Amino acid sequence: MAFRNTTRSWGSLSKAFHWLIVLLIINQWWIASRADELKGLAKLEALAWHKSFGMTILMLAVLRLLWRLLNPTPDLTAETRRWERVLARISHVLLYALIFAMPLTGWMMSSAKNYPVSWFKLFQFPDLVAPAEQTFHQMHDLHHLLFGVLVSVALLHVAGALKHHFIDKNDVLKRMLPFGKVE
Amino acid sequence: MTNYLAILGAALSLFAAACHASQDTAKPAAAKPAAAAPASAATPAAAATPATSAGTPPRYAQNAAKSSLKFTFEQAGAAASGNFKKFTTVLIYDEKNLAASSLDVRVEIASVDTQEPERDSMLKDADLFNAAKYPAATFAASSLAKRADGGLEAVGKLKIRDITHDLRLPLTLKPTADGLELSGKTAIKRLDYGVGQGEMKATDSVGDEVKIEYAVSLVRSSS
Repeated sequence: MAFRNTTRSWGSLSKAFHWLIVLLIINQWWIASRADELKGLAKLEALAWHKSFGMTILMLAVLRLLWRLLNPTPDLTAETRRWERVLARISHVLLYALIFAMPLTGWMMSSAKNYPVSWFKLFQFPDLVAPAEQTFHQMHDLHHLLFGVLVSVALLHVAGALKHHFIDKNDVLKRMLPFGKVE
Repeated sequence: MTNYLAILGAALSLFAAACHASQDTAKPAAAKPAAAAPASAATPAAAATPATSAGTPPRYAQNAAKSSLKFTFEQAGAAASGNFKKFTTVLIYDEKNLAASSLDVRVEIASVDTQEPERDSMLKDADLFNAAKYPAATFAASSLAKRADGGLEAVGKLKIRDITHDLRLPLTLKPTADGLELSGKTAIKRLDYGVGQGEMKATDSVGDEVKIEYAVSLVRSSS
């Protein structure tokens, strides 16, 4: 499997970005829902993990977008209908936007609460906004709203991939699978 | 299969990095300049001129509006800071008789402000400052001394909660139009003073060392 993308399939680096971010997002949701039930230092630690992974996603998102711009994007099959192409395009743009927007709103939540963000206690990121309760609440609400959008678009994305695989019987899903082989 | 391994490898190295995260890498907070004191070099006001050692040394009291007492601590790997909004400072200062000089500071624990109400109330709770039982922290120095580097220090005792330790507080005094500007910074260990009971004794989430920065505007008072 090639490292770079071709017009027929995703290269290994693109696949790594895709699946690593998927796993990290699921992990983020899990940590965040656990943190809600915690108090004191345990909550502080849980949220520190959430922030560290979130900043990891943001850094991966930057690299992923650059890699995407530097590589060919595999084509959809010729028989893909126009509405499918449009829907796929919109959901891909949204998903890319969300892997930036989720960490950024989270980062602003932290800054607004005067809880600066560290990356696995190795280094500290600068604050994006000045501490302010109101900013925190706005960013908190936005972070949650965007998560809802992310889940919705991701489900549509999965539905689309499954349709390609089981109904259209093409390679669109297979070519993104880590062990997928495309003829 | 190789791709799968590549992903697994990347994920593992990520976790490995996480596990090896050290705790003591928070950046030191950049020293902030003291609250702007009026430039005084050109106009050394009479009020700021220290008396001779023959008379009673002049007394200076704090101008609360222009004074700040900031602390910075490490929290989950990041340096966070807060300040005490209410504190009082009295300095008796004779440049020529440092031994007869003194410094008294009283900090109202309830005035702690980290710009996050939940954390402020945690700080005031029994496990940290226990503000209900110990409403104030005090620093009392009955003399000042010259440091090796030529600067000044107040030789005194810091009391937080019910624990007192000797502390030599470095400080710089600059004349202002109506008194002195006292500034400096130091660092203490919170656990030395019992600020951390129960689970708060652990230092992996909230560091032991607390940096303190002060910039106090002092006005010469008549008494």
